[in-house]
Amino acid sequence: MAVAETVVEILLNGLQQGAIFALLGIGLTIILGTMKFLNLAHGALYLVGGYAGMYFIRETTLSTGLLADSGVTDIGLGLGFAAAMVLVPVVGFVVGLVMEHYVAEPFYDRPETEQLLVTFGLALIVQEVIKGVVGGNTFQPAAPREILGISVGGPVTLPIVGSYPQWRLYLVVIALFVIGLTYLLIERTDFGLVVQAGTQDSEMVRMLGIKINRSYSLVFALGAALAAFAGLIGVSFQTISPQIGTEQALIPAFLVLVVGGAGSVLGAIVGGFVLGITVVTMTVVASQWAQIVLYAVAALVLLTRPEGLFGSAEVGE
Amino acid sequence: MSDDREPDGGAVVGRRDVALPERVRALANHEFAVVVASAVALLLFPYLLIDGLGMVADAIGYRIGGYEGLPSLVLIYGIIVIGFNLLLGYTGLLSFGHAAFFGTAAYSAGLLSSTAQVTVPGIGATVGMPGIGSPILMALFGTGLATLLAWPIGFLSIRRSGVYFAVLTLTFGQMLYFFAIGPGGWLTGGDNGYSEVNVGELLGMADFGSPLPLVGTVEYAFIGLLFLLALTVANRIVNSPYGLIFKALGENEQRVEFVGLNVFRYKLMAFIISGAFAGLGGALFVMHERFVHPATGFYWIQSGDFVIMTVLGGTGSLVGPVFGALLFEYISNVISGVTLPVVGPIGSLWRLILGAAFVVIVWVFPRGIYGALADAVRWIVDAVRFVVWAARNPDEFVALVRETAAGYRRSLMARFGGGS
Repeated sequence: MAVAETVVEILLNGLQQGAIFALLGIGLTIILGTMKFLNLAHGALYLVGGYAGMYFIRETTLSTGLLADSGVTDIGLGLGFAAAMVLVPVVGFVVGLVMEHYVAEPFYDRPETEQLLVTFGLALIVQEVIKGVVGGNTFQPAAPREILGISVGGPVTLPIVGSYPQWRLYLVVIALFVIGLTYLLIERTDFGLVVQAGTQDSEMVRMLGIKINRSYSLVFALGAALAAFAGLIGVSFQTISPQIGTEQALIPAFLVLVVGGAGSVLGAIVGGFVLGITVVTMTVVASQWAQIVLYAVAALVLLTRPEGLFGSAEVGE
Repeated sequence: MSDDREPDGGAVVGRRDVALPERVRALANHEFAVVVASAVALLLFPYLLIDGLGMVADAIGYRIGGYEGLPSLVLIYGIIVIGFNLLLGYTGLLSFGHAAFFGTAAYSAGLLSSTAQVTVPGIGATVGMPGIGSPILMALFGTGLATLLAWPIGFLSIRRSGVYFAVLTLTFGQMLYFFAIGPGGWLTGGDNGYSEVNVGELLGMADFGSPLPLVGTVEYAFIGLLFLLALTVANRIVNSPYGLIFKALGENEQRVEFVGLNVFRYKLMAFIISGAFAGLGGALFVMHERFVHPATGFYWIQSGDFVIMTVLGGTGSLVGPVFGALLFEYISNVISGVTLPVVGPIGSLWRLILGAAFVVIVWVFPRGIYGALADAVRWIVDAVRFVVWAARNPDEFVALVRETAAGYRRSLMARFGGGS
């Protein structure tokens, strides 16, 4: 019983972590695949989503930072999770559009190294601005108690595991739903077709008379919205502080990207769940080695299958 | 317009004026001259940074002066970024994992000097550390181990390029970080950091911290000498046929391959050399700070800092990155302590300032501060030459102005129609 209990719990927790990784990975992979643009500020979008989500969901008391210094100590709208689920992706989408226009576009034709560098700088700026405005404190997770009248808080009794936080089950369902939706958008719609074609040969798409630049902006904004949504999911069961943008979002997203294969949405989904379950399993088995194994898995895939699990060719070579 | 004229004007100005820069340039290519000039600069550097800026600080009322120890720190990071630039600036490989070599050297040099007892987990045996505190041996040991580590990491990472290379180097660095902070805690001290560093006397006669007339301290002299050595070695590499191939790799890898050279081997060598430089820096860092923590030793932020320093300073030249290291350490250690009238204390905002400066540099001056300065100097020299030429040939100058104005009017007419 004890083993079965552990396995199921690992699977459940792994699905949550994997969903976040997958959401981040999808955003990064479609941006890289379509525009050949490497976005080291992807973690910053996660961070923006997480903080925005927290303030939409609940009121938060600030103790340090510019706002607290100027007398504003209680911020937050307290709209609840349902509203945040709509608003956070919108915020991410808008931030993505702005970022695409003002940061990414001037760098599309510049060397890959310069793209990495400028977005690295941007990631630093976003992180420091957030730290400066709302302080560098770690905030507790903002788990909702009810969504649209349905109670989602408190524990629930599961067959094998026993008592388990009910919210976390909803979370898996919501995340899987969004991932599925994105998958369908890319695989089954005309827009997705253009995006996929752009991944293969953007010049050819342009020759066919399709305004791929408009699709570029949309893809970038979509990727940003997904990253922000991942941030919202993250903040609903994990603590949040300014440095998690790189630690818990950017680096895993890149690992997902290289494991799944650049430009492949399916690869990002599978890669996300593989890495998510790996890290949760290792946390249970030997927690000190969890992160080491995570990186080792990524390095192993990179060395043995450079195109990733689902990629067709190396992008950005 | 002026471009067409200027060479003529320059020749007319007289050969005496041209001869001097030529001689300076020839001198700059001479290794001995470079070393002597750098040595003089290193001697003056602490006075400028501490006393010079200190006087400015007294004058304007903000505490912007350097402190004792900062010059050493700048030189340590200078050594690292000179090596890092060989990889990034010359061969064009962006590594996000050089903290691996920095940290390995820092820990191994520290462990070499320690006398503490260490219990090896698994076997349960207790081992005493050697307690060799000679700075020279510590530097050699740390650099050696870092170089040995750079070989396999480079061997694996070089197989991929671009973002894949960056991610691979990052993963190796991060693995070491999580090892040092977790399972390797018995050796590294884990999250408490490692402070059992006993730096002995240099050559058995000079205490490391004792003052030295003119130079400051024995430590600064030691670090300064190694900085000169690193600069000389890097200068030799860059100016050798071998270094030329590094440069060629950065320009066009495919062509180098077509010529029949083994690209992999040259890239690997560039990686190992830069790893050795990072190692030397790490060993000196632990001697300077007497403390190392996994976050300062191995964490990817440290690798990112190397990238920032190098790019800030300028990747196009040998010494450019050193200016980046200077600016970085100055902002992080001195400017962060300044209190501004409206904003208040800068404190942790220094990273924001740095990030903004970094983005501006990448965006506007891809060749870094050094490149921007070099451009500015060239522009001023050209401007001065032009003024001299204009003063000596007023008639030609007036004709040139007229011609330019006429050309400008013509282009305006062509664009907006000649009606007005």
